[in-house]
Amino acid sequence: MHGRNDAVPERAEVDVAMERYASGDDAAFVLVYDTLAPRLYGYLLRQTREGPRAEDILQQTLLQIHRARASFIPGAEVMPWAFAIARRLLVDSVRRGRRELLSVDGEIDPGASREASADDLVQARQLAARLDRELAKLPPAQRVAFELVKNEGLSMAEAAQVLGTTVAAVKLRAHRAYEALRAALGDAIGGLEEGKS
Amino acid sequence: MTSPLPPPDLRARVLAAAQAEPMPPRAVGVRRGAVIVAAGLAASVAILYRIGGPGSRGRPSEYFVALAALWLLVGVAATWGGVVRGRSMLGRSVASRTLVATLTPAALLVTAFAASLAWPATGERPSGTPEHVICIVFTIIFALGPLIAFAAVRRRSDPVAPRLTGAAIGAASGAWGALCIELRCEHASVLHVAIGHVIPVALLTLVGLIVGDRIIALRARR
Repeated sequence: MHGRNDAVPERAEVDVAMERYASGDDAAFVLVYDTLAPRLYGYLLRQTREGPRAEDILQQTLLQIHRARASFIPGAEVMPWAFAIARRLLVDSVRRGRRELLSVDGEIDPGASREASADDLVQARQLAARLDRELAKLPPAQRVAFELVKNEGLSMAEAAQVLGTTVAAVKLRAHRAYEALRAALGDAIGGLEEGKS
Repeated sequence: MTSPLPPPDLRARVLAAAQAEPMPPRAVGVRRGAVIVAAGLAASVAILYRIGGPGSRGRPSEYFVALAALWLLVGVAATWGGVVRGRSMLGRSVASRTLVATLTPAALLVTAFAASLAWPATGERPSGTPEHVICIVFTIIFALGPLIAFAAVRRRSDPVAPRLTGAAIGAASGAWGALCIELRCEHASVLHVAIGHVIPVALLTLVGLIVGDRIIALRARR
């Protein structure tokens, strides 16, 4: 799985950078890019399985953030907003019919360690493919909540903002997704303890 | 497991694209937003004065002042809850916007009913379909300025629930339109106020759903 738990320092950094950018410091947009781009790119690549499409949506997302410079609210959290924009642009892209069917065998993690053994890699890929298949069977609301919390490392509150719902609803959806995955995959998803975020 | 990094050349592309489309800082944006909203509200006031200006016109003065004050409060509250984004770039909670969209017409109706109970004589003056239709039309006309202004301020900003934001904006602008017609209209029966002044607010809330989808929703630029 692609869990990340480095959300808190990044968020603080990107909030400060965006605040500086909105206040007139042009150079701060570089910091906004540097803190947001890796996380958004990982999310988009996992969703699209296509580097060029992920790049395109990432570029659009960051330009939308740039365009909102004049209306940025002091003290607002940037990370859930950025994920919400990325998700919206992703959904629009899918609706425009430009998304191809996902291949469970597709390259999903170019950053994976090259030092892992071939057996480990094969096993990891098989597990990832099984997980993807099971995730795809979940109701969209549960799948998206699970992915935002577990894959992207967003807090329950941030995921709730991205999805436009309540924290309780996100908890419930993620819990149900977790239970469904545990029922389907058993011990194989032991690393995804519930309530980690 | 770490996330993959975006290609190095993407950074240069994004920064170049941002540089090619310079955006003003927040101070300019705040001023611009304030001017747009002020212009929208001023348009309603200008129309109000163009057709005779505010006045009780035979209605009890206390009724006129009390209902205008209550509807002013409703307009301010709806604008604060439905248009202003609060502390989040994603706007206020879905629950808050839903409340604004549903409770604004309800609050106008309840306050009008309460005022009619407090001043029973207001129901004595007859009003019919022509008066209802005129007030429906003028309430919508009065609300257009605020609606356009609010939509302009929130244009292409909502990636999560734009229709709901639009509905809340429609309700808020409707509340301002209802206030303007209340200041001008000479009929005070609760039936007339409900049909001529409050139903348009509900209609504007529905129009707001479309505005949200077409104008407020965040979309990719090509």
